[in-house]
Amino acid sequence: MPVIRVALDLPLPQPFDYLADDATPDDVGHRVLVPFGPGDKGRKLGIVVALADTTDQPAEKLRPALEILRDMPPLPATWRELCAFCARYYQHPLGAVMALALPPLLRKGRLPRRRPKAPAPAPAGAIPELLPEQAAAVAAIGEGRGFRTYLLHGITGSGKTEVYLRAIAQVLQGGGQALMLVPEIALTPQLIGRVSARFPDAHVVTAHSGIPEAARGWGFLDALEGRADIVLGTRLAVFMPLPRLRLIVVDEEHDPSFKQQEGLRYSARDVAVVRAKQLDIPIVLGSATPSLESFHHAAGGRYRLLELQRRAVAERLPAVATVDTRRKKLRDGLSEALIDALADTLARGEQSLVFLNRRGYAPVLACPACGWISRCRRCAANLVVHLADRRLRCHHCGLEAPIPRHCPDCGNQDIQPFGRGTQRLESFLADRFPEARILRIDRDSASTPGRWQALLDTIHEGGADILVGTQMLAKGHDFPRLTLVGVVGADAALFAADFRAPERLFSQLMQVGGRSGRAALPGRVLIQTEYPDHPLYRALAGHDYGGFARGQLEERRAAGFPPFSHQCLLRAEARDMAQALAFLAEARRAGEGLAGEAVGLYDPVPMRLARLMNLERAQLLVESASRPALQAFLAGWSASLHARKAPAGLRWHLDVDPQEL
Amino acid sequence: MPGPARNSVAIAGVLLERGALRYTPGGQPVLEFLLAHRSARTEAGTQRRVECEMACLAMGPTALLLDGAAVGDAVEAKGFLAARSLKRRSPVLHVETIEFIEGAKNGIQT
Repeated sequence: MPVIRVALDLPLPQPFDYLADDATPDDVGHRVLVPFGPGDKGRKLGIVVALADTTDQPAEKLRPALEILRDMPPLPATWRELCAFCARYYQHPLGAVMALALPPLLRKGRLPRRRPKAPAPAPAGAIPELLPEQAAAVAAIGEGRGFRTYLLHGITGSGKTEVYLRAIAQVLQGGGQALMLVPEIALTPQLIGRVSARFPDAHVVTAHSGIPEAARGWGFLDALEGRADIVLGTRLAVFMPLPRLRLIVVDEEHDPSFKQQEGLRYSARDVAVVRAKQLDIPIVLGSATPSLESFHHAAGGRYRLLELQRRAVAERLPAVATVDTRRKKLRDGLSEALIDALADTLARGEQSLVFLNRRGYAPVLACPACGWISRCRRCAANLVVHLADRRLRCHHCGLEAPIPRHCPDCGNQDIQPFGRGTQRLESFLADRFPEARILRIDRDSASTPGRWQALLDTIHEGGADILVGTQMLAKGHDFPRLTLVGVVGADAALFAADFRAPERLFSQLMQVGGRSGRAALPGRVLIQTEYPDHPLYRALAGHDYGGFARGQLEERRAAGFPPFSHQCLLRAEARDMAQALAFLAEARRAGEGLAGEAVGLYDPVPMRLARLMNLERAQLLVESASRPALQAFLAGWSASLHARKAPAGLRWHLDVDPQEL
Repeated sequence: MPGPARNSVAIAGVLLERGALRYTPGGQPVLEFLLAHRSARTEAGTQRRVECEMACLAMGPTALLLDGAAVGDAVEAKGFLAARSLKRRSPVLHVETIEFIEGAKNGIQT
């Protein structure tokens, strides 16, 4: 009797065997309903990953599958192989990978019924002329045969999207499908509208977690059955099955949101490259500030570098200058130079943006009389003052409390917010510029896609003079009247513990600076800093990404950090730190036996945020100069970790290629 | 409140400086001001002139009352002393009651 191997969404690496009378080799890739657990009640949905004649299971333990769901085409072999790769590479159970890769409705064993109404097609816009660099990039991508990774390094405003659209047009003409991944924050109705308007006859599917279940189900089926021409989505779209996929585009490839921070901790950019290789098709990674990993590959010739060094519309790049705040008196954190520049811009009827990457009114509420501060009782972090709705909030676990009327320790009512967030900046600017229309843009003011869109519309209609915003504003938005960007409070990232912090800061500031002067008006960027001579700010002022990247790569080479080494973190969470550290110490001993010369294990240490949601957290870093050596080690180590029983209440996971240390 | 817990100060003077009315995060109005005191006292049998400045803080209704006052106004303030902060231990008079002194100029009653 045929036996089917079924991948189930369970924290166990191996597939499960079931009897299936009617199973044929064509059933591999179908979803299947199987009994699970003691008794007859429990059932689970899995995916048939193989057919077998024999099984290691004793006959009395082998149970028949309930039903093979043949109501949609089987998930193709390439899709299953991609999932299997992720399972191996990220040390995650195959069933859990497949469950993540399926939309929720299909994962529940159902299919969407009524097809949601397609949005009205956007009016087709004029197709802009290509600049010579853009044309050369499009040609290079088009002439390639087979797998090739292109790194499209284009300064902000150089027209990268136009290059993507032309490359996609080439693929559609040849009857292929295209996949375009964008960071969460950049997937706006504008981008979707731009793509649909360019390809009015194409079936464009958008895929992200905010889409209703039925629509997501249809999107997946349209992709799987070949009806979709273009899939545009966030990181999870990398798993969309596309039988005629001929091109993958990853926009803003450096963006940290491509790396999932829970469950399957995959990098959608890296998985996209693997997928392109698997299918032998080209992939374009685009960015104004490529990740140092990608830049390093391009420098070494593994990726082909395509550069766009001229702005498509605006003539000049914004002038970037630092404001030395060491000996200056600041008013609510703003220097006179920046306040004057804001006043000038306002007088000219142009828009300004003050960038502060910290939302809320102030990062902490404190009692000056006794020293009490607003700590989160669940995390090793402070509660942030949100004066707009009179709440204290933990930005890590979401704990909320009303603002106390007086100090809980000494009774003093004159407790004070310390430090500065976007709300405080907004209220200062409102006092200082009563005639200006001020708009705050952060996760609090743009808490839903609808509110976010309304804010963007207000900006575009010229309904705001001064914007105060976090990194939400940094990406992919063109504001034609924006001519001044002020950067406040950026210095902290210069000296952060994470070696990637400068890379992130540089790309963030480059992006936010790139918002200014994108149309006919020249732009200006003022960065307030106590370190005006820091190489990072100098490189920014010189628009010198290459110089900055080479400098950073030199430092990383000297320190043996990625991309010159490959890393994995084992993280443990437990009720108390000692337990977490002890588990890691034991894991380390087990690992030392398996690690050869090429793999090094560091000491277990508490994480930077040492307590989250009442769990104490610690981590153990494993490093190797060789990716295959690290992978080989992880396979054995992960098996040994699964085999040992973790103490009750302790949870652990492996994070391969961690983005945050 | 006699004994070791006693902390009570009464002082008259004119407003030398006054801050803008602000609010605690809990919504209480707060007004900080500097009081200039001038008087004549007898010290160890000798008449002398006395001058000093006192940092004051009023909260709640007292703060609202003081918000109507201008620099140069004469007042009598009663309250208790508390350190400015954990680090700066010099005292600030926390005003509990305030009385405006009619017809006063430069702290000298006419």
